[in-house]
Amino acid sequence: MQKAGIAKDVIAEWVDAYSDSMYSWALHKTSSREMAEDLVQETFLAAVQSYEKFKGDSKAKTWLFSILNNKIIDHYRRAYKNPTVSEQQQSDAGSVSLFETMFDSDGRWLKTNSPQEWTGEPEHVLDDVRFNVTLQHCMEVLPANWNAAIRLKYLEEKKAELVCQELEISTTNYWQILHRAKLQLRKCLDENWFNK
Amino acid sequence: MNLIRNMMISCRKATELIEKRSLFGLTVIEKVNLVLHTSMCDACTLYEKQSKTIDKMLNDKLGSEEEEVVENPGLKDKIKGKL
Repeated sequence: MQKAGIAKDVIAEWVDAYSDSMYSWALHKTSSREMAEDLVQETFLAAVQSYEKFKGDSKAKTWLFSILNNKIIDHYRRAYKNPTVSEQQQSDAGSVSLFETMFDSDGRWLKTNSPQEWTGEPEHVLDDVRFNVTLQHCMEVLPANWNAAIRLKYLEEKKAELVCQELEISTTNYWQILHRAKLQLRKCLDENWFNK
Repeated sequence: MNLIRNMMISCRKATELIEKRSLFGLTVIEKVNLVLHTSMCDACTLYEKQSKTIDKMLNDKLGSEEEEVVENPGLKDKIKGKL
């Protein structure tokens, strides 16, 4: 009991010291306030549970961030692997309509959706707050597992082969999903920003 | 001419290969197919360029860059209440 009390006191101090930077990090990675708050909260609760395992040979901040990063990645892995029935339907229907609106039956670009030159300066566009809102919107309207597939690619900073192993999916499955996600994301950015 | 015609892939396939390449790389035949296609297709050449731009954007946005710290005092209290 006493030990648990000590753990809680220490961790309460860590909450004061690190929760803001952890929240900011999670917000940067997920772009969702609610999700970032939940993940940080779960991280501290997990830290209380496994406080015994914290040896003190790494910094508390490093330890907490490693738990947090695992939680973020786990969240998207679950979203990718276990879509709800309606998410799966959205993904299946999305694939069919996506290819139909982009290409003709011979696989040629349809005139209406064929890529056009992007106006403005795509290299500096992230400096524009309004563009970030557009990008966020375009990610959110993707089927949930497509969104998760894209995020995992950039969050993990690992070779794509490893990402697939961990998700227990074939490499073909992964690049096909990313292909669909990219086609749709490109179209959304085109319509809502670059060729608005 | 027949050989070249047989090597020609569709735009849909070309965009697939562009995405596959950025993840896993391509076989020699796939590389030839893609280069042959993009050398004759302006739309897919643009797609290739824009796909790279999007990759870079997402990498900058989601990659490991330290962000400005946003304060969230409400969250602190909430977590402490649950410890």
